[in-house]
Amino acid sequence: MFTALVFKEWREKALVFFFELGILGLLLAAPFALRGKTDLQEWLVYAILLLFFPFAALILGASGFEAEYRQGAWAYLFSRPLGRPAIWLTKFSALLSMFMALWLVFLAARAALPAIREITGGLRLLLEPLPGSGFPWWSFGQSLFLLIVAFSLSLLHERQFNALFVALVLGLLFPAAAWSLIMSKTGGFMAWLAPAKAFRTLLISQVLIALAFAGASLRTLVRSDFSQPRKQVRTFVGSFTVFVVLAAVGTVGSALFIPVPAERDLGFMGSSEGKAVYATERGLFSYDSASGRVRWLTRRRKVIYWSSSIANGRLAYTVLNFESRRDATEEIWLLNTDGTGRKRLIGRATPSAWPPDDSVQGLTISPDGRTIAILTRNVARRRKSQAWATPTLWTVNGDGSGLEKRSLEALFPDGPEENLYVAFVAWAREGKVLIILKRHSIRPVHWSLWAYDLDRRTASKVRDDAVPATLWWWPQNPQPKDILAIRSRHSEESSRTMALLDLATGEETEIAKGEQPSPFNVRWDPEGERMSFFVKKPDPEGRPSYVLTVYSLAAGKAVAERTLTDSEQSASYSTAWMPDGRSILALDGDGRRLRVLGPDLQDAGRIDLPDRIKEPSGPVVVGDKVLLVDRSTQSLWRFSLEKKRWARIY
Amino acid sequence: MSELLRIQNLSKTFGRHEVLRDFNLAIESGRVYGLLGRNGEGKTTLARILMGVIPADGGSVLYRSRPIAFGDSSYKREFGYVPEDPFFYEDMTVRGLLAFNARFYPKWDRKRAASDLERFSLDPRSRIRTLSRGMKLKLGLAVALAAAPEFLILDDPTSGLDVPTRQDFLRDVIRELAASGTTVLFATHLVHELERIVERLLVLHGGRLILDEDFDKVKAQHQASLEDIFVRLVAGA
Repeated sequence: MFTALVFKEWREKALVFFFELGILGLLLAAPFALRGKTDLQEWLVYAILLLFFPFAALILGASGFEAEYRQGAWAYLFSRPLGRPAIWLTKFSALLSMFMALWLVFLAARAALPAIREITGGLRLLLEPLPGSGFPWWSFGQSLFLLIVAFSLSLLHERQFNALFVALVLGLLFPAAAWSLIMSKTGGFMAWLAPAKAFRTLLISQVLIALAFAGASLRTLVRSDFSQPRKQVRTFVGSFTVFVVLAAVGTVGSALFIPVPAERDLGFMGSSEGKAVYATERGLFSYDSASGRVRWLTRRRKVIYWSSSIANGRLAYTVLNFESRRDATEEIWLLNTDGTGRKRLIGRATPSAWPPDDSVQGLTISPDGRTIAILTRNVARRRKSQAWATPTLWTVNGDGSGLEKRSLEALFPDGPEENLYVAFVAWAREGKVLIILKRHSIRPVHWSLWAYDLDRRTASKVRDDAVPATLWWWPQNPQPKDILAIRSRHSEESSRTMALLDLATGEETEIAKGEQPSPFNVRWDPEGERMSFFVKKPDPEGRPSYVLTVYSLAAGKAVAERTLTDSEQSASYSTAWMPDGRSILALDGDGRRLRVLGPDLQDAGRIDLPDRIKEPSGPVVVGDKVLLVDRSTQSLWRFSLEKKRWARIY
Repeated sequence: MSELLRIQNLSKTFGRHEVLRDFNLAIESGRVYGLLGRNGEGKTTLARILMGVIPADGGSVLYRSRPIAFGDSSYKREFGYVPEDPFFYEDMTVRGLLAFNARFYPKWDRKRAASDLERFSLDPRSRIRTLSRGMKLKLGLAVALAAAPEFLILDDPTSGLDVPTRQDFLRDVIRELAASGTTVLFATHLVHELERIVERLLVLHGGRLILDEDFDKVKAQHQASLEDIFVRLVAGA
């Protein structure tokens, strides 16, 4: 029975199908006639994907119930012993098989002709989140959507062209409306803040809208009286209204409650006073090692946490608060890591703050938590002229008072430079001096370290041709010893040296030398007496190996060394000092356990990771707890050193 | 005779026009029913409701004591229907239409279909679009008969037929059906056509049956032609 109906549909629509097949054949064959004219070849493939398939789908879909209307065969068809859902399904199946046949022809041509494969492989438009597929899913999806819309509407009107035209309008209108909503303030600027989620939401909305059309069409066919066209349209509109509201609810619900894997984000912002602070897509939270509790510090969705700094139990951070797609307010906030004292220090309405065209490039909070230093730069000028504006230094007190603009022109005697880059590195002399990194040029790259005296408002160069040993982890000794770990360029391109720079005296002590990119992954112990880092060195057989090294300030030399891994990746974020300041935790190369290394870096114990942690990253030690992020699920795990137990805490 | 079909309180409205109103009818198996009514009285509407083409606004239909819902399709395997307007799929051939229908009816009789084509002078290779209205009616009849239905609804089937075919249809086909035990509901506004074939007469007027009586009894009671009886009944209703 099903076959008989499908066959009937094929026979009825054979003319339309073979006409479309002929057009497709011509469009596919045309590149042979246009050898060498690659632009035209590309446009022909674009024409197939952008115009041919959508219109072929519309024409096929609009012909769905055309025969019944044209030949008045409704009564005949409905009086056969056929369920109406079966009629709907077989008609749609027949059209879908024709649609798929056209795509199969295109795919066969794509497989046979490398030129088509290359062009379609480069055409992804909205489908960047499906990298590497090469298949133009967007064209397939959009044309399938139009097929469903046109087929659904073909039930309502005897003229095929009318159904086609209305399907084209509605088939573009609904996805456009969904996309506009996703881009708008109401939609939380999702398209800009979470492109992967926006793309998924658009897909879900389109699937649900297609189902709404199909559902309304099926319901109309099953329930409606075809001798009364107006009643039939009313049934369709009523059903579609209900289904489209459900589709909207489903779309919004999926956007609100079902996270996209790429959307989840968990970033360590820093630790202080036994609390570790993390930034997530839902807000900031701190983990208190003493109470073992997670406390949400902020819960704001339409915000990007741009930059942060933590010291003395206080966290300063920037947020990008979107007012509209083109208008985002940059604000600077301060709060205690226990969640108290949350305060906006600088917002749009703050008098004498930087102009709207300036953007915050970085911020740092002083070791005592009382002063916040901010770097801003005019970004509008960069967009217009490619000229990079000179950055400005600002300082503000922790209570929001004393906002002061400071000049960094001494760093740029020749005015703004191309590809300029500046960043905070450290605080020196008990928070009275800021160490700033400056990149002068790209080719050759030239770096220098500068000291800005907050009292004297003067800047002076500290060191040429050097960078901090790490920009992510604070390279400065945690105790007020004004010692900064730096890496300096060596005359040989392939090697680097690491040195300790005494910020008070300018004295420099070379402590290690290795191949690029080492030495790296610097960690100071809690007392600031010893420092661990990795050095890349060749092993006796000439293969690269990563040697964990411990340098002691008191001894004035490296006191322990051990080759831990041959993987740069596993050496990158894999160590932390234990609370005793003598042992080191190191993530094993296979990511299944943490090794406890004694003062001599020999194995003193091990902590097995739960099987559920797939991609461990970290670790971070806060109080008597070890924190580890699982990158595969963006979840946070803690291990109690006292109770020897793992638990997932976020 | 057992009851085949029972229609209870059936109603149907088109806009403000109430075509059927509390319509009740019981049909016994193996009998030939003649449904008389003026144009627009609801004969086609009743046939379409029974065949599940359009929904009723109210009431119920029971086939062999089992209620039929709008959307049910299995009972239609035992129903034959020759619509008033013979619309088919015009691009099909006569043979194609028969083959198409053969898949849906378990009791499909190929021999009967072939012999009816011959009887009605229908060329199996002809495209339906090339057939006249009368030929299409014959084709509809051939399809309905080949399905070997328990219950056959004929909705004004003779209005497009030529005289010899009409004679053949009225005299032989209906007689054959009656002899084979098929229940027939013959809806028409051509009163005289029922004269020789019906066993029970139904007259539809104002959305209701105003007469549901054995034909012989009606004839005996009124002592007049069927046409006169019909006119009198409708005028008096």
